[in-house]
Amino acid sequence: MEQYIAKAAALLGAGIAMGIGALGPGLGEGFVAGKACEGIARSPEHASLITRTMLIGQAVSESTGIYSLVVALLLIFTT
Amino acid sequence: MILSASILNVAAYLGAAIATGVASLSAGIGEGQTAGEASFALMRQPKAGDGLLRTMLISQAVTETGAIFGLVVSLLLIFSGLDNPEAGWYRLGTLMAAGLAIGLGSVGPGFGSGYTGAQACKSIGRMPDQQNKITTTMLIGQALAQTDAIFALVVSLLLLYSTPNTPADASVGHIIMRICGYLGAALSIGFGTFGPGIGIGYVAGRSTDMLGRYSAQSSTITRTMFLGAAVSESTAIYALVVSFLLIFI
Repeated sequence: MEQYIAKAAALLGAGIAMGIGALGPGLGEGFVAGKACEGIARSPEHASLITRTMLIGQAVSESTGIYSLVVALLLIFTT
Repeated sequence: MILSASILNVAAYLGAAIATGVASLSAGIGEGQTAGEASFALMRQPKAGDGLLRTMLISQAVTETGAIFGLVVSLLLIFSGLDNPEAGWYRLGTLMAAGLAIGLGSVGPGFGSGYTGAQACKSIGRMPDQQNKITTTMLIGQALAQTDAIFALVVSLLLLYSTPNTPADASVGHIIMRICGYLGAALSIGFGTFGPGIGIGYVAGRSTDMLGRYSAQSSTITRTMFLGAAVSESTAIYALVVSFLLIFI
């Protein structure tokens, strides 16, 4: 019984971790890309520089989403 | 404790209420935002009236999608939630989780699509002759944002129709574990589409806004929009993967 309750909490926790963890990166990356579109429209001659910075910024922002994914997978498979 | 139909009814009705209630929240706000910007744009460009009305209606229809998904799942839960009497105690979890998944999952796309539509109407108010280009980009952006609502719908329908029946010898602990797993799957995809939905809507909104001002740059803007939206979408896909794992493992 005890191990099932612990596993139940782990599965619920995996869902919460991935769900709420995906909230921030999604919003943040969207904001980066929106501003990048605006920047490219205003000064198209810097398009490649802006795109590069956008992708680096998104990659850093994505890292927290990947942390959530790792924690969720750990909760599902190792407990 | 013996599982009776009324216990399952509680789960089905709760799930149905969450599905439509929460899903309609953001669709309503998003559509209102679009209509507000369209009305304001009319003040600047009264001659663009017909075009603005058309774009506003298209945008509102797309924004409504999430709420319609919620409504469909609600009706399924109310009228066919008890169709499978052999499913046993697991059904308690899947019925509630199905409502939770589509309800929470439609919130982000609703806000995102609404923002895109509002920016498109604003943009048309500024540059009525770019209307076709702006409406096309708006529709592409909204479609990208609504993908997240479709992910939630997929998880919701899987929870309703593809979950196993409770084995006869399942212990109480095992049943609690599976129910928590199903609820976890719903929370994962539900909250997981929140950020990407709003984020992609924001990207598409900025793109449509900029298309109106700098229409010569349309191809570069659209390309950057796709790239940014694709990266933003990745977290929703992680959430979808975790949901599938929680449902099927």
